[in-house]
Amino acid sequence: MKKTFLIFILILAMAVMVSSPVMAQKKGGTLTIGRPTDPVALDPALETTAPGAWVYFNILEPLLILDHNMNITSKLATSYKVLSPEKVRFKLRKNVKFHDGTPFNGEAVKFTFEKAYKSQPQARWASLAGPIDRVDVIDDYTVDVITKEPYGPILRSMAMCYTGILSPTAVKKMGPDFARSPVGTGPFKFKEWKTNDHITLVRNEDYWGKKALLDQVVFRVIPEEGARTIALKTGEVDFIIHVAPTEIANFEKDKNFVVHKATGLQVFHIGLNLSKPPLDDVRVRRALAHAVNIDYILKHIMEGSATKPLSYVSPGVFGFKDMNLDKLYPYDKGKALALLAEAGWKPGPDKILRKGEEKLTLTHIAARGRYMKDGEVTEAVQAMLKEIGVDVNLQFGEWGSVFTQIRSPKLDHHMFTLAWITTNADGDYSFYNLFHSKGIPPTSWNSYRYNNPKVDKLVEEARATLDPKKRAKLYGEAQDLLAKDVVMLPIYNSNMIYVSRNYVKGFKAHSVEYNLGFAETWLDK
Amino acid sequence: MINFIIKRLLLTIPTIFGVIFIVMLTIELVPGDPVELMLGEHATKEAVEDVRAALGLDKPLLTRYLMYLKNLTKGDMGRSIRENRLVSKEISDVWPATLKLTMAAMIIAILVGVTSGIFSAIKPNSYFDGTNRIISLFGLSMPVFWVGLVMIVVFAYWLRLLPIGGTGSFKHIVLPAVTLSLPSIAMISRMTRSSLLEVLKEDYVRTARAKGVSEKVVILKHALKNALIPIVTMSGLQLGQLMGGAILTETVFAWPGLGRLMVRAIFARDYILLQGTVLVFALAFVLINLIVDISYSFLDPRVSYK
Repeated sequence: MKKTFLIFILILAMAVMVSSPVMAQKKGGTLTIGRPTDPVALDPALETTAPGAWVYFNILEPLLILDHNMNITSKLATSYKVLSPEKVRFKLRKNVKFHDGTPFNGEAVKFTFEKAYKSQPQARWASLAGPIDRVDVIDDYTVDVITKEPYGPILRSMAMCYTGILSPTAVKKMGPDFARSPVGTGPFKFKEWKTNDHITLVRNEDYWGKKALLDQVVFRVIPEEGARTIALKTGEVDFIIHVAPTEIANFEKDKNFVVHKATGLQVFHIGLNLSKPPLDDVRVRRALAHAVNIDYILKHIMEGSATKPLSYVSPGVFGFKDMNLDKLYPYDKGKALALLAEAGWKPGPDKILRKGEEKLTLTHIAARGRYMKDGEVTEAVQAMLKEIGVDVNLQFGEWGSVFTQIRSPKLDHHMFTLAWITTNADGDYSFYNLFHSKGIPPTSWNSYRYNNPKVDKLVEEARATLDPKKRAKLYGEAQDLLAKDVVMLPIYNSNMIYVSRNYVKGFKAHSVEYNLGFAETWLDK
Repeated sequence: MINFIIKRLLLTIPTIFGVIFIVMLTIELVPGDPVELMLGEHATKEAVEDVRAALGLDKPLLTRYLMYLKNLTKGDMGRSIRENRLVSKEISDVWPATLKLTMAAMIIAILVGVTSGIFSAIKPNSYFDGTNRIISLFGLSMPVFWVGLVMIVVFAYWLRLLPIGGTGSFKHIVLPAVTLSLPSIAMISRMTRSSLLEVLKEDYVRTARAKGVSEKVVILKHALKNALIPIVTMSGLQLGQLMGGAILTETVFAWPGLGRLMVRAIFARDYILLQGTVLVFALAFVLINLIVDISYSFLDPRVSYK
């Protein structure tokens, strides 16, 4: 009897232990977030940048979603089937209601995509999601998404936060005001937006899935980095976005705070203009790659806030392959000089390399403050190239004017500083758009003026198929070719870094900057 | 007097038309395209053309200028390019915050500035005057941005007395208003001191003292009133300055005002929103100047407008 009782107690204790992490989750409370800027709008049609997405990701839900391991999982669609390279069938979730009570069904999906693609002008995300032609409603809970041509990344398009489904009744009723008070199916409902001050979301009590634990999420605008950090230290806010790199180490040491990290999807790089001599010579480009000490930049400038780039896209992107840049182009000034000598560049009396009378001078344009530490990194690269005798004429401009130059049909500079996010997390988005010769400005985004027919063929093929294995292989081959050709000098891979007070539990940073969800977050206080 | 006011108000119309033209021309000349900036690195050529046409940005500058003026006469300030929101709505959202902050800073500046100026003038070259001079120099030469951050560290972080920024309660306005008022306090204080010293040398002050009027009455009634004209002029100018200078203060203290809206418009090359904000600033300047001019006739009966 005694024994049975003891065993019973033991089992009970174990049950309590196992279930305690779940039991400990507390419902209620307000999470206050400090972020640098207000959104443009809260309708993805008008707002494709992070400040908007951070908020509407919690309000609007797409058909699919990328989980924390970057795999496609279901959201408003329960399953999908690829019927042909241009057609995917989605089975929709039943018994889902928008925040205004409108039932979610195939018509709402059709409406959302029609609003985006048939409006004048189109939604600002339309060109990012690919050549979607239309949505056919098969029955209330089945839709076919049809593209104009075979489009490999279509599933990831349907998992972008931009393609969140909107309540048709709310859009029709509110008109342009919808962009300031969106209505979706998500775990949080929109409550209020005071321009440049705060946005408040409240829990959706009728959510179809596991209901959110927080009563409210308040997104405050605190533009100044230092002030934002102090706000977290004093407890005025519980969570901050965009933390000063120098502060991260301090926060990691302090028990009152938790640093949340995930590898981002942005590759910060120095773009090379292959159309402008001497950068048309691959030996010169390889020499530049050998001359840049990336570890030094990561340690002393980024101070642990970014990681080493392994390819021209981030590891979270579909189709990513490690380009072995470390082995191909280790930091080695001797190798750099040997390559340059092979290309005919010899040191002159002032140590600047020369070919005959001509000095090796490269021009470089960059902006300051557009990307994390962009100015400092660009200056460091300039100094590193100077060490091997390459004279870099660096011009800083305001982002608007720098960007216009990078994308103009004729780029007059050898190098430019840019960071690229693979927004839909699919290799096509970067490899096709950045490196296909058809994309040389003004047509598209190939500012490197890169032209390799083999790469063109690979990325075209990969776009035209929906078979993931085949696509991954093709992108792998393209990356091998790019690694040989040296089109850019990747400097760092972004990290998503957030810092919160230690009582903020259940939050997990996501590789996609836009996917900042608070549905599982709770406060232990 | 009424005729004078009407004439001055009518004169603002060409001023504003000119201001709008200059804003439009500047944005046109500065490199950077509003649509490309708005759609970002990831926009296709077609998408950019599409939006540009929808916004009428493909039309020539003069056509757009005339169109804007035409709509303006109907009271329509247009829709911002990036947010696609009525500019009047954008401005009315943030204008009260700017007004509140500017007024609070102005009140502090006048109270502290005039008082310290009077005390300095009563005992020129005293310890108080010297200290006041040093503090004024400090207030004038320290950048608002830096002072703001120091204020945050001291009052919000160390002492935990006040919030770091934002809006909500009376406590929220203290730090930004004080920070913003510092340079104006200094200017007004110096101006009060010198103007009052000047007046105190006048014969009628000596007369007043000779007939036994108390020193308090001499200073406040006889001297100060006559010293007021330059102080009022200076305060009017400062008020305009405060509104413009609020941009930095608004950024440091996360104050949701007009300055930040304007900066956002500039970076986005959103000339429609920018014109709207500049218009409000220009109108405010014109009004402040008018009020200052009118106040002269109350302060000094010799000044009259016919």
